[in-house]
Amino acid sequence: MRKGVILTLPCYDIVTEYLSAFSQKIKIESEKKGVFLKLLNKEKANKREFEKVINKLDCKLIVFNGHGSDDSIKGDKGEVLVKLGKNDFILKNRLVYARSCEAAYLLGRASVKNSNGCFIGYDLPFEFYFNSEWAANPIKDNFARPFLESSNLVPISLIKGNSSLESHERARKQMLKNIKKILRSKTQEAFFIAESLWNNYLGQVILGNQKAIL
Amino acid sequence: MTEKTSSKEIKINEEMKGVVMARIDAQVPSNLKLAIGGYGVMNKEEMIEHIKKGDEVGNQIVKRHILFLKSLASGEFTRAIASVE
Repeated sequence: MRKGVILTLPCYDIVTEYLSAFSQKIKIESEKKGVFLKLLNKEKANKREFEKVINKLDCKLIVFNGHGSDDSIKGDKGEVLVKLGKNDFILKNRLVYARSCEAAYLLGRASVKNSNGCFIGYDLPFEFYFNSEWAANPIKDNFARPFLESSNLVPISLIKGNSSLESHERARKQMLKNIKKILRSKTQEAFFIAESLWNNYLGQVILGNQKAIL
Repeated sequence: MTEKTSSKEIKINEEMKGVVMARIDAQVPSNLKLAIGGYGVMNKEEMIEHIKKGDEVGNQIVKRHILFLKSLASGEFTRAIASVE
């Protein structure tokens, strides 16, 4: 297995547009650290391409952005990339970060059984608030930033060479810092933003090998 | 027990729904939208509508609000926040 990253970037609705926009920082960190990176952009984030790339490049770290369920992770236009009981073996012995709703709950747990790999993801629906006035330029959206930049810390920390546990904890710690900052701001919406960040904080789990490194 | 399981165990009643709808109405600005998993994107009016209907996403919004209040009441939230600088 090679030291490298596969990053899925479906971009077909407002949620995936935001996830893709904020994932640029993951790309920048890979380039900075000289870590091989394969992007599966937009329509390339389909099952056929994904399996082809995994088999050919055999990268250790897979970062998924997109919709999901407790037994699947999706790509472009909701196409299932990985499904429990179908092709979940593809995740065995790898480092996986899935910014996909609830995928840790069944798929993540199954993927780390009899494996030296690690799965970091969410048991609850991943959520974020955004400002509809910035929807055309997500990266400038200060409502979405505390959600997506803190979750970005999982793959960024892994790319920097930290362990899976350290990367998981760094992201969760940043979520708490963001909650603190938002509550101090005492804005009208602060309570709701904090509540959503707390949902992601509670929902993010690490499964399998906590000492795994890229 | 995972949080997902405990979230499923929360029974929603009309009083809870009323409290959450009132808070959303008072505190969520109209330009703010919530993206919640596979449920899609919604503004405050749509959030309230889902809660009124009692559909899956509406129940999810109420449940996570109750979970948050429980974390506040148990001290879990305060302890976690106090643990960071």
